[in-house]
Amino acid sequence: MENYLNLLSHLMLLSSFVLMANKRIRSYIKTFRMQSALIGTTAALIGFESFSSSGRMDVLVVSTVIIALKVIYIPNLLGSTLENIDLKVEKDFFLNIPILVLISCGIVVFSYFSISAVEGINTGIMNVQIVNSISMILMGILFMISRKNAIGQIVGFLVIENGLFVTAMFSTEGMPFIIDMGIFIDIITAVLIMGVMVFKINEKFESADTNKLKNLRG
Amino acid sequence: MLLWILPLMAVMLFGAIKNNKILHGLSVFTSAILVVSGLIITLKVIAEGSYEFNLFYVDSISIIILDIVLIIGFLACVYSVGYLEEEIKHEKILPGRLRLYYILLHTFLFTMILALSVKNMGIMWIAIEATTLASTFLVGFYNDKPAIEAAWKYIIICSVGIAIAFLGIIFLHLSSAGTIDSTQILDWTVLYGKAGSLKSPILRLAFIFIFIGFGTKAGLAPMHTWLPDAHSQAPSPISAMLSGVLLNSAMYAIIRTLAIVNKNLGTSEFTGNIMIAAGLLSIAFAAVFIITQKDYKTLLAYSSIEHMGIIAFGLGLFTPLSVFGALFHMINHSLTKSMLFLSAGNILQKYGTREIAKINDLLKTLPVTGGAFLLGLFAIAGTPPFGVFASEINVIISVFEKGQIIIGMIFILLLAIIFAGIGVTLFSIFYKNSSVETPPPRGEGNIYGSAVILLLVGVISITGLYMPVSIFTLLNNARNIIIGG
Repeated sequence: MENYLNLLSHLMLLSSFVLMANKRIRSYIKTFRMQSALIGTTAALIGFESFSSSGRMDVLVVSTVIIALKVIYIPNLLGSTLENIDLKVEKDFFLNIPILVLISCGIVVFSYFSISAVEGINTGIMNVQIVNSISMILMGILFMISRKNAIGQIVGFLVIENGLFVTAMFSTEGMPFIIDMGIFIDIITAVLIMGVMVFKINEKFESADTNKLKNLRG
Repeated sequence: MLLWILPLMAVMLFGAIKNNKILHGLSVFTSAILVVSGLIITLKVIAEGSYEFNLFYVDSISIIILDIVLIIGFLACVYSVGYLEEEIKHEKILPGRLRLYYILLHTFLFTMILALSVKNMGIMWIAIEATTLASTFLVGFYNDKPAIEAAWKYIIICSVGIAIAFLGIIFLHLSSAGTIDSTQILDWTVLYGKAGSLKSPILRLAFIFIFIGFGTKAGLAPMHTWLPDAHSQAPSPISAMLSGVLLNSAMYAIIRTLAIVNKNLGTSEFTGNIMIAAGLLSIAFAAVFIITQKDYKTLLAYSSIEHMGIIAFGLGLFTPLSVFGALFHMINHSLTKSMLFLSAGNILQKYGTREIAKINDLLKTLPVTGGAFLLGLFAIAGTPPFGVFASEINVIISVFEKGQIIIGMIFILLLAIIFAGIGVTLFSIFYKNSSVETPPPRGEGNIYGSAVILLLVGVISITGLYMPVSIFTLLNNARNIIIGG
């Protein structure tokens, strides 16, 4: 069981690297879908175990919601948003991809050392997974600042959210059910609002390139 | 419990009603009832210390901020009536969008009430994230380029900030693993009660993440970049709500965590250093930008950053007097700043510009608003008879009592720079300036709004001189909860 969870955790980290190396907006969405599928599988595994050992259903429900929401609904939503706006962002990066991947490696090393320096976290059973998921959060932030278009930033936000969810799941056997559900409601609203905002930006600025949002300065 | 149900019912009713007059009436009516029920709960809290019903929980800390939310919410609703009618008359917004405005406004109000009246830190987080979502479209309500840019900045920066705060909440939960049972996860009262047995190293990590996360939302430097744009682009009643209410709700989450962490560590040195540094940095940032500011709404926004810095500073010192001062400052700042933003709304509607240089002879054109704005500027800069001065002096006294003379001197110096900055940049609008083309006709446009402004001017002048015993008891109780004495 723990081997599988370790494997899934490493795969999730790997998918973050893949995301970092993606060039096209369409492939961001595909990679995000893949990462969410991995998270859904992990939640399902943990859910089955807790169901068979203590008869609790809640993690299973959460995993179903993740798959419905993050694997199916949100990527489709982003995909259709993408089709409705014109894509003329040629140079999408502030830094080129090899440098970004190198920085990401640095992030993993950094979170490894900083997490293992904190007393009390090490004694838990799932140390490596926390390192992986914290790296995922930091890489999500890096992704957000390295992409110039609005959809890239939404995907970055979702990756941060994924990382948080995984951290919660591995470090504390999941949050209470009501909090998990509240978070999902928040995420879905956030993505819907951001989607509408992308349309508005596209309409007013004639592009979804957030680099053009430079009028307001202090 | 009425506090939760009422705004939600109002939101649903707004969805069904099309007549603008009924919309105005309903909005004012609901928010008035909210204030009344808030008062009833306040009396209960003063008598019993806390009030609990199912998930609903308020104690002395939350009731102070909850009352601010309800009162400012009510005043903003009253002000909105005149403000929106004026905007529709000048064709700034379409009449049909009024409904959307009220739906969003009351959802915003609901999320803030929810954040302040639960004891579960997880639900508190959800509610604070929801405040961002509810207010994004309010910030971008005018739908022009700058407004959309401000709204995009707002939602992206705040969502990421709040996500970081959630990491902190996970660590808070992790630090309590094994000491509390699974039905009480993240319950503030339990965490606070068992603070001594939480794991300190993880708790420190949790505090840093929560401070950065909610600090983003509270507008502390260097995470403040969304704040000036959002405050200056939003419709004025919304700016008043953002500045007077939203920032306090975020600060409230920090206060809750602070109480747990300091009780666990037994000293305030760790949290104090972080909060004093962030507080001073915010005040310094604000000082620089206020001196060079050309837009009066943005200037007021930077002044909010300054006052959040003062509150963080007072909390960081963590002496009984400074915490008392910080809490009292929250009340004073909210009332004064919302008054200023509401007056700024009247000025903006009259002159149609946000630039300081294009406004002149304000006292003649808008006698009531202009006079209130002048008094408000003195108040916010910290001149003696007003409430803001009374709370600032508490913080200043406690710096020197603690013996941190250099920090205290920097603090006072920065406040003096800001005072001078407000004087230099803003007072020109009260004089006659012949280089500007003819001023608009005299007379107040928004009568309800002016009444609200006058009421607030009265209140902020009184709070500096006299404090009712009940408020004093509340502030003292809240301070005792935070300090743990």
